[in-house]
Amino acid sequence: MTPTRGGDAGSQDPDPDSIQRIRQVLIRAVERHCPPALAAHREDLVQMSLLRLLERPRGEGSAPRGASYLWRVAYTVVIDEIRRFRRQQRQTEQLPGDERGTPGPEARSELLECIGMLQDRRRTAVTLHLQGFRTGEVAAALGWTEKQAENLVYRGLADLRACLEGGNT
Amino acid sequence: MTDPSDDLERRFRAALPYTDDGDCPPADDYWAAAAGELPFERVRALVDHGATCARCAEAWRILADVRRGAAEAGAGVSDAPPIRSLVSGAAARAPLRTRTLLPLALSAMAALGLWVVLRPPPVRPPPVERGNAMGETVRAESPEVQPARDAVLRWSEVPGASSYNVTVLTPDLVVVHQAVGVSGREFRLPEAVRQRAAGTGLLWNVDAVLPDGRTVASPTFEVRLGAGP
Repeated sequence: MTPTRGGDAGSQDPDPDSIQRIRQVLIRAVERHCPPALAAHREDLVQMSLLRLLERPRGEGSAPRGASYLWRVAYTVVIDEIRRFRRQQRQTEQLPGDERGTPGPEARSELLECIGMLQDRRRTAVTLHLQGFRTGEVAAALGWTEKQAENLVYRGLADLRACLEGGNT
Repeated sequence: MTDPSDDLERRFRAALPYTDDGDCPPADDYWAAAAGELPFERVRALVDHGATCARCAEAWRILADVRRGAAEAGAGVSDAPPIRSLVSGAAARAPLRTRTLLPLALSAMAALGLWVVLRPPPVRPPPVERGNAMGETVRAESPEVQPARDAVLRWSEVPGASSYNVTVLTPDLVVVHQAVGVSGREFRLPEAVRQRAAGTGLLWNVDAVLPDGRTVASPTFEVRLGAGP
């Protein structure tokens, strides 16, 4: 006889409201930040990611480890899923055009070279800022006060602009 | 606080090359970095990598959005300075209190050390990799469209499997049924599930349980049930 657990088995999973909220945030993030060819698959990518999240062994990502852990796992599985999706695309040689090419070498090298010339702390702060991190988030990541982070982003951006205009950093 | 940098952001994103992701750090490292769990040198290395790789830059930007979503949902994620900086600041301001608490802290560390030495080894669940198994994979062998009154899920054999666990979910990922320890390679959907899903679709997957406790997981399949009983 087959032992079964029916109906309420889902009650051990993260609560549906949390999953729904995570799904909305992930879909929006993929839509905002991924190239259009990949963003078009956002629903599938997020669906697969949430499936993987829910498939994890019991105890992982559930309440005893904290709600933030669930978000952390959701983030890691969606990035893994995006990477896997791209690997599959490469394997089937169907890489979309907007990902195959890279921008012109002059524009690319100038900006990145200037970033690379910034002082360590300013470079790290500015790069996080350019990745969309707010000052408080930069501070949290780097163990600084918000004021320190603000100063370093400000000075780093000034150095970067000066470099791009032909000055020194 | 800063000059408007939208233009720089746009140029930065456009300048990043798409490279092979073979050397990209795990996504969890990025989360740990944003959470303030890593030393500065490690965060710097991760951030520097993100400035040379469009895919990881994308991962950073998604990370910022996800952490904000988590913070708004009250999931205990915040951009407050991490504990390490608060601790060092407090220590600088209150040396006297630190000295007073030192014996207590040493006792706690000794107890923690004792616990670390004597604790039983952690029991780790068997690894599961869904749909990515390098060797055997599980395939669906039942039709994707079936009559609701007689819906049966069938799958290919995994050599050596002692039993199978079947999970059935709605398209919005609510688990509606789990069958554990199925001895054969098919599973008839219970009547309650068939009635609930008649005229709609369901998702399902199978974990093949090997004698040593490892699990071989299938991809997730879809089945559509016809309307009616």
